Amino acid sequence: MGDTELEISPAQLEELQKSPSASSTSTTSSLSLPSSPSSGPRPSSSPSTSEGLPTSSPPLDVISEGVGEPILVIDTEVAKKACQEVLQKVKFLKADGEVSSASSEPVLVNGTSHPESTNGRKPPKISEEEAEPLKNVRCRQKNNSSKQSLLLRLFESKLFDISMAISYLYNSKEPGVQAYIGNRLFSFRNEDVDFYLPQLLNMYIHMDEDVGDAIKPYVVHRCRQSISFSLQCAWLLGAYSSDMHISTQRHSRGTKLRKLILSDELKPSSQRIRREMPQPPPSCPPPLHHCQGMSGHSLSPSKRTHQRSKSDATLSISLSSNLKRTASNPKVEACQDEPVRLTPQREFIKSLMGIGKRLATLPTKEQKTQRLISELSLLNHKLPARVWLSTAAFDHHVVRVPHTQAVVLNSKDKAPYLIYVEVLECENFETSSVPVRIPETRIRSTRSVENLPDCGITPDQRASSFSTVPNYDNDDEAWSVDDIGELQVEFPEIHTNSCDNISQFSVDSITSQESKEPIFIAAGDIRRRLSEQLAHTPTTFKRDPEDPSAVALKEPWEEKVRRIREGSPYGHLPYWRLLSVIVKCGDDLRQELLAYQVLKQLQIIWEQERVPLWIKPYKILVISSDSGMIEPVVNAVSIHQVKKQSQLSLLDYFRQEHGDFNTEEFLTAQRNFVQSCAGYCLICYLLQVKDRHNGNILLDSEGHIIHIDFGFILSSSPRNLGFETSAFKLTSEFVDVMGGLDGDMFNYYKMLMLQGLIAARKHMEKVIQIVEIMHQGSQLPCFHGSSTIRNLKERFHMNLTEEQLQVLVEQMVDGSMRSITTKLYDGFQYLTNGIM
Amino acid sequence: MAQPEKKAGLLKRTSSSKKPLKEKVLLMYEQIFTKEDPSKSNPRFWDELFLMKVNLEYLEGKLESLDGDEVMKVKDNINSLFQHCVQALAEEHQIRVVNALQTLCALFRGVHQKNRSATGFDIINMLMGFDKAELRMKELMESLDALLCGDGSQSLKSLCLKLLLCLVTVTDNISQNTILEYVMINSIFEAILQILSDVSSRAQHGYDAVVLLALLVNYRKYESVNPYIVKLSIVDDEPTLDGMGMVIHHALTEYNRQYRDKEEENQGGFFSTLTSMVGSMFIADADEKLSVQTNEAILLALYEAVHLNRNFITVLAQSHPEMDMAAAPAVPVPSSPATPLGTTPPSLDLMNNPELPLDPNLQTSNLLITFLKYSSIVMQDTKDEHRLNSARLCLIILTCIAEDQYADAFLHDDNMNFRVNLHRMPMRHRKKAVDKNIPSRPLVCAVLDLMVEFIITHMMKEFPMDLYVRCIQIIHKLICYQKKCRVRMHYTWRELWSALINLLKFLLSNETILLSKHNIFQLALQVVNLFNMFITYGDTFLPTPSSYDELYYEIIRMHQVFDNLYCMVLRVSTNAGPWKEPASKVTHALVNVRAIINHFNPKIESYAAVNHISQLSEDQVLEVVRSNYDTLTLKLQDALDQFERYSEQPREAGFFKELVRSISLNVRKNVSLSTMSQDVLLKEFSSIS
Repeated sequence: MGDTELEISPAQLEELQKSPSASSTSTTSSLSLPSSPSSGPRPSSSPSTSEGLPTSSPPLDVISEGVGEPILVIDTEVAKKACQEVLQKVKFLKADGEVSSASSEPVLVNGTSHPESTNGRKPPKISEEEAEPLKNVRCRQKNNSSKQSLLLRLFESKLFDISMAISYLYNSKEPGVQAYIGNRLFSFRNEDVDFYLPQLLNMYIHMDEDVGDAIKPYVVHRCRQSISFSLQCAWLLGAYSSDMHISTQRHSRGTKLRKLILSDELKPSSQRIRREMPQPPPSCPPPLHHCQGMSGHSLSPSKRTHQRSKSDATLSISLSSNLKRTASNPKVEACQDEPVRLTPQREFIKSLMGIGKRLATLPTKEQKTQRLISELSLLNHKLPARVWLSTAAFDHHVVRVPHTQAVVLNSKDKAPYLIYVEVLECENFETSSVPVRIPETRIRSTRSVENLPDCGITPDQRASSFSTVPNYDNDDEAWSVDDIGELQVEFPEIHTNSCDNISQFSVDSITSQESKEPIFIAAGDIRRRLSEQLAHTPTTFKRDPEDPSAVALKEPWEEKVRRIREGSPYGHLPYWRLLSVIVKCGDDLRQELLAYQVLKQLQIIWEQERVPLWIKPYKILVISSDSGMIEPVVNAVSIHQVKKQSQLSLLDYFRQEHGDFNTEEFLTAQRNFVQSCAGYCLICYLLQVKDRHNGNILLDSEGHIIHIDFGFILSSSPRNLGFETSAFKLTSEFVDVMGGLDGDMFNYYKMLMLQGLIAARKHMEKVIQIVEIMHQGSQLPCFHGSSTIRNLKERFHMNLTEEQLQVLVEQMVDGSMRSITTKLYDGFQYLTNGIM
Repeated sequence: MAQPEKKAGLLKRTSSSKKPLKEKVLLMYEQIFTKEDPSKSNPRFWDELFLMKVNLEYLEGKLESLDGDEVMKVKDNINSLFQHCVQALAEEHQIRVVNALQTLCALFRGVHQKNRSATGFDIINMLMGFDKAELRMKELMESLDALLCGDGSQSLKSLCLKLLLCLVTVTDNISQNTILEYVMINSIFEAILQILSDVSSRAQHGYDAVVLLALLVNYRKYESVNPYIVKLSIVDDEPTLDGMGMVIHHALTEYNRQYRDKEEENQGGFFSTLTSMVGSMFIADADEKLSVQTNEAILLALYEAVHLNRNFITVLAQSHPEMDMAAAPAVPVPSSPATPLGTTPPSLDLMNNPELPLDPNLQTSNLLITFLKYSSIVMQDTKDEHRLNSARLCLIILTCIAEDQYADAFLHDDNMNFRVNLHRMPMRHRKKAVDKNIPSRPLVCAVLDLMVEFIITHMMKEFPMDLYVRCIQIIHKLICYQKKCRVRMHYTWRELWSALINLLKFLLSNETILLSKHNIFQLALQVVNLFNMFITYGDTFLPTPSSYDELYYEIIRMHQVFDNLYCMVLRVSTNAGPWKEPASKVTHALVNVRAIINHFNPKIESYAAVNHISQLSEDQVLEVVRSNYDTLTLKLQDALDQFERYSEQPREAGFFKELVRSISLNVRKNVSLSTMSQDVLLKEFSSIS
């Protein structure tokens, strides 16, 4: 059916091409023209696109060959756009097939006579389309009005970035502009667009059809390329559609697109090509080879161990009959699981969420922890699989969840939990083969007691590590000289007689070393060593069944990685990595995602403007409107945990962890503290982050503070008790760490705030648009009321001079310092939640 | 087939009401036991035979009653019967298969019953004929393998397993069962594994399969290459190993539950109201009743798995929800009284459920926890032979576990905390610990608790010396791991120290009695060396500096025991005699303990004198200890942290031989083909045939 429709298209194309240009919206026509090959940003951007591609999805093995021939790629880009554009005009809802065929075009570019990649209708159309740009160029030249050309020049200039594209997409009411930008999306780097994915999808769901039509081809195209993108889209679409009324939701565009994605019909078109052409063109093998190399590598160790275990059984039993049946229990899933592209990951997420739900029903932390561990150990049986954590920055396969390391986090009625996940980095998680399972106990082939670091101390080493006391014997009471004489006389005798049942390894304590001088050690040394070793270990928190996460989070990340790696059967593999993730079930993370985007944007802005503010946006994965995952901040514990465990003031804790004043470590930590504090104060002010108690503020091992939990931002505040009226949280304890009100560091803190505010103000639009677009159709509490955006804008104080801003900052700091509400709020939290 | 009621008499040898010559099948049996080839008179004889319901009792009786000459006369017919049985197994008609299986069973049993003294080769000759034996057995094993692995009826699979169990246990000593040589050549190991790996078949046949495997592994274990040992040692398929673990876990859980039910029964009613004196008498009495028969076969299976297969160790830590609580209301106790060793599998309903049931009251458990609980019950009473053997086997298994690097890792894993309710022997001078108050701790604490419990409860005239030696070895191995890996357990070491000192005290006070039977110096040396571990390596594994002080305090407090021990060993070592050498080892091992006592005692006395205190408080003693470390010199003893690895051969070989013999007898007694009623089978097959 698609074929017949498309058959007509060439004819229609011509017509359509004329009609818009004839219509009154001349802007549209000129803008709808795909930028000519010679346009500025294109040559630079398209190669980078193709460079970015091979890592993300399979079809691009084919495209990536174009890297060597940038000019050709540009041509196809143009052709592709033209094609899509026209198709949108025609409002082919079946456009999906078209897009995919566009993505497969590079084969054509290659010059190889292409064997009808998509239904044989391609070649004639291409010629058609390639002819079009020329015509369009002519048209555009005719209708060149100054305003349009200005806009066009902007769109084609190097400065036109994704942020601007989103902004025009959102603000422009012109379908032509929207369609043009929809096409321009293809030319941005995937990662850049990904950042605005929530905005794009929210526009798709909640804005008018033109915007939706402009966005859809891009989304569909990306979905075809990437499983990860598909799932992310599906989840976000689900989450952002949830605020609609249930009746409209079912038929909404977002729901339909979500269904389409989840039905897994959006397969990469190149799979078809591959099947048709078993021999890929000579220029494309490198990426494939690489994949094989990777997989070959990850396979080899387990193969080796298997052989090892066989050779352990040195006996000449034929194993053929044994193997016949073990082969029927295949441990590795079939590698190319086309029909279930999305299933493994969805199942993985589903089981994680299921665990969260079940944990929530258990009454005590201890039971939750035990259940969590046992549930995860069952989950382990299904790993490795083609699953991954979207919060990671690299492609990988999850191979194991070290279940005993998982902890339940503090929460009153929900059961968020933190898991560590062992992964093997790979070239491309969609195409690289899934690692082979290695049984738990296989670890012993790589590590034995003897290999444990600083554990296998031989008696000799041990003796030398003690301060040896050679016959130091001023104390007659220790033992009499006779005793020693007796011992020495007895040695040989014992040796000759010790051929009884007890073997050479017996508990016999006085064998074999008779030739050596007896070694003496001081009891005091043992005692001292014991206390020193305990004091020397980095301060750990005490295990508290009511707060199981404190210990786990306090352990330095590096150490945890080393420890888990040692205990893992996969630990010896070179691409082994450890990740961690917080699984939240029953919580809406959409606001968190919004906060992440704003923080990230501000971080970029400050970096760009060279303001040394430090903030740590942590990644958020929204799975539905009430579940998701969070990337944990490593090496950080909450200030509440710090105070409860150490029973020290914050300043004293700093001194305990980093050394006394004026040591370099302390000063570094203090500077980190100030820079992060200033950053987060600004964030708290701009976003109106509320619920700032010490359980929601982390302190990392370098002295940075990190605010977490953006559940109350913008227009929402907890329980509307009117607490926390100050601009941000600045307790006297914080000021103490900064060196007091008169210290240089405190002035530095205020100066940073001012600089940060000025920088943020300069790029206000970028921040506002993130929030504003998400406002569309949203019922989130942070958008409560009508003035959310206006108030946000006002907090940037565009009308103030820098001097006035400085006064403002002073006022805010003063206000927060004196704010009794902060203190009150802490007290309130202590009373209600036991948070110090 | 017209009399389904007659099934009642199927196997009961004692029933005297035979009605011979009435059934056609008996007539046919008669024919077999003549010289004539029955198929001569009736060409369809064999076809018909397997359509008849088997009369096991008659057939076995007949075989038993034959004497040497007669045997030789009917040998051809018996061979022929065997051959046709094997052929019938491959038939589609399931009734024939059932009858053939049962007939084979009767053949194996009958022939062995009669010929206890006969060599294996004679028996083989009689059953199959020498020349054909290899072929017949190959066919038989292949058929059984096919039946076990096929998609056929569950009852058939069950019968196959029972036939195999029957075959494996026909001799008292499994290694003398020459027919098993063919079972070695034609392995059914894979079939057993398949049963264990599949959830539903595991639930129905897992128990038999595990017992069968445990027995097969023990066939000529020490004399020849047993392929089952080799294969079991390299299994690495996790679902299979898990399945095996589940079967064992469930059997042990079942035992624990039965024990607790009995215990509760006994505690209820008026017993509890009796005075403590009378009560204790009754408890002794109740103990007898409480002794639910131990399950040595399943324990042996656990041992073989732990000992032979290093991948099985992970299964020990695999969490399951506590099944005994959940199973109690849902599943009725299997009606057969011979549950532990009978072949009715314990109800395995919960195993079918891959999702953990969602019950907030469920404590998660694992095989190791269940095993520890089981051990705590078994070790309570080691008076009778079976329980002593079970306790010994438990300790051997624990030894293997304590030696395993991976097992140690999870035993000591700080993140894996469990409450383990060990059963404690009711004793006059202590109250039963309240179950609920047990803190959640790493599993090694439960193991140590169990060892401490054993030490303090078995100091009796019938001194279980070898159990004590094993027990101390287990503690030693655990401490060696802690020392090597610098694991600091927050364990109340004091309880262990005082238990060990009390043990020394017991050895001293019963020196003469014990010395006539045991080498008490070996045990004493082990105990003293444990103290040496703490004294010289305490810095590597003790949790706090003050625990090191407490160690000294405990030694000083109980210095008389060490003094007496020193006197005793010195005395023995200076006299010529068999104990001279072992005793002198103890003298040397005591060097550091004596140094401590000799160093601190005068200091404490002078402290008391200076401060005019007659009785120093613990804190004061600790204070003296703390301030006088620096002038004390200790001697570093070699090889304290070395131990001899467990090896079954040669030391344990005798034990296992006897154990397997007792298990064989028990299994043989309890394998009953009659549990499979003809009725059920007929019903099941009526639709098929």
